[in-house]
Amino acid sequence: MSFIGNAMAILRKDLLLELRGRESLSLMLFLSLLLLVIFNFALNPDKDNVSSMASGILWVIFAFSGILGMGRMSVAERDEDAYLSVIFSPVSAESFYLGKALGNLLFLMIMECFTLFFFAILFDFEKIIGLLPQLLPALFLGTLGFSLVGTLFSFLSTASRYGEILLPFLYLPVVVPVILGGVTSMDMILNEKSGDAGKWIQLLAVFDMLYLAISLLVFRYLIEE
Amino acid sequence: MKTDRTITILFFLLLIMMPLDFFLIFRVAPTEKVMGDVQRIFYLHVSLALGAFLALTGVFVSSIIFLWKKKIVWDSIASTCAGIGVLFSTLVLITGSMWARPIWNVWWTWDPRLLTVLILWFIYIGYFLLRSGIADKFKKAQYSAVIGIIGYVDIPIVRYATKWWNSIHPLLSQEGGGLDPMMKKVMLFSMATFAVLTIFLFLFRFRLAGIEERLEILKKKMED
Repeated sequence: MSFIGNAMAILRKDLLLELRGRESLSLMLFLSLLLLVIFNFALNPDKDNVSSMASGILWVIFAFSGILGMGRMSVAERDEDAYLSVIFSPVSAESFYLGKALGNLLFLMIMECFTLFFFAILFDFEKIIGLLPQLLPALFLGTLGFSLVGTLFSFLSTASRYGEILLPFLYLPVVVPVILGGVTSMDMILNEKSGDAGKWIQLLAVFDMLYLAISLLVFRYLIEE
Repeated sequence: MKTDRTITILFFLLLIMMPLDFFLIFRVAPTEKVMGDVQRIFYLHVSLALGAFLALTGVFVSSIIFLWKKKIVWDSIASTCAGIGVLFSTLVLITGSMWARPIWNVWWTWDPRLLTVLILWFIYIGYFLLRSGIADKFKKAQYSAVIGIIGYVDIPIVRYATKWWNSIHPLLSQEGGGLDPMMKKVMLFSMATFAVLTIFLFLFRFRLAGIEERLEILKKKMED
């Protein structure tokens, strides 16, 4: 099978596992909902200021729910050394990584759509749904960055005796540029602020490519025995 | 041993350079017109930043060489460099803060340069957190090399943060044009002193790591 074909097979495996009741996606969704509720009474937003808070609240939720989900995904691989059977198959480490990253990307995107939807309802901010087409490029590129770094680092952290607890400490500092780009461009679009949101989207794209290149180069060292 | 001799030479060199550096900073360099004596902290701040940059570049390069050659010695080099990098970047943050209080009237501000350096600090703290969590020597080396490589992405961001975003952090290159010739000389000497200090600390700590390893092997032999 080809490189992409192998990656797709890994993706299919993760989707099947998720459908058959491994609960990382539902945990992510549940945490997002919980965080929305907490942000609501912690910040007490009203009609006037909700739009200025929206992008910050949303990206914090994306980052934290993402950590939870991606941590679970790699714990499942480390459990009983399940990933070893993939390593011993003819699938290359790179396509394994790509498949896992695509799976994480998909789950993160689902979680984000869910969060956006409930944000619009709970915070009475329907405007955000209408602006979704404009928000999508930054949302997609930011999420791609999350999943590229998160997939790599969740494999790193689950190898240590701290397990997935270590993930936020490694992951958050490295994805700060991604969060920054996501928050700023979303804020510009939501509040019609002057400034070039396109520049931030370019920055996100550059980071994604950088992270993808580095991850593909180094991932094999994380799983070889 | 050759390293031992180099360490001794560097030690005596520093014994002369360090006091001389402080003498130059506090007695010879002219007082800045607007900021006054507080400006003198710059000589240390910039030199420490240079040391941190050297050390973290060492982490990056030796991490790559480790993954390529698989020799554990490159991991000792990388982790030694990372330790110095964390120490120096902590001092960069502290000296910057001490300068900012009288000049900017705050200990800390969310300026791009400050933010990116703080993130750099977090990344390399994570590097050591990960190391402390893995017992297997080779795995530890391999995994931390990955952080050493991907973490280095932040260095160019630190470098260009002042250019890309509106920053209030002073720029050395911009200032360099208008810098008093005496100030420039003191700055260069201070940077040289801290570069020597970085190399000295590195060799000293690296030698210690070698001794620790020998001790461990001996202990194991005694147990057997």
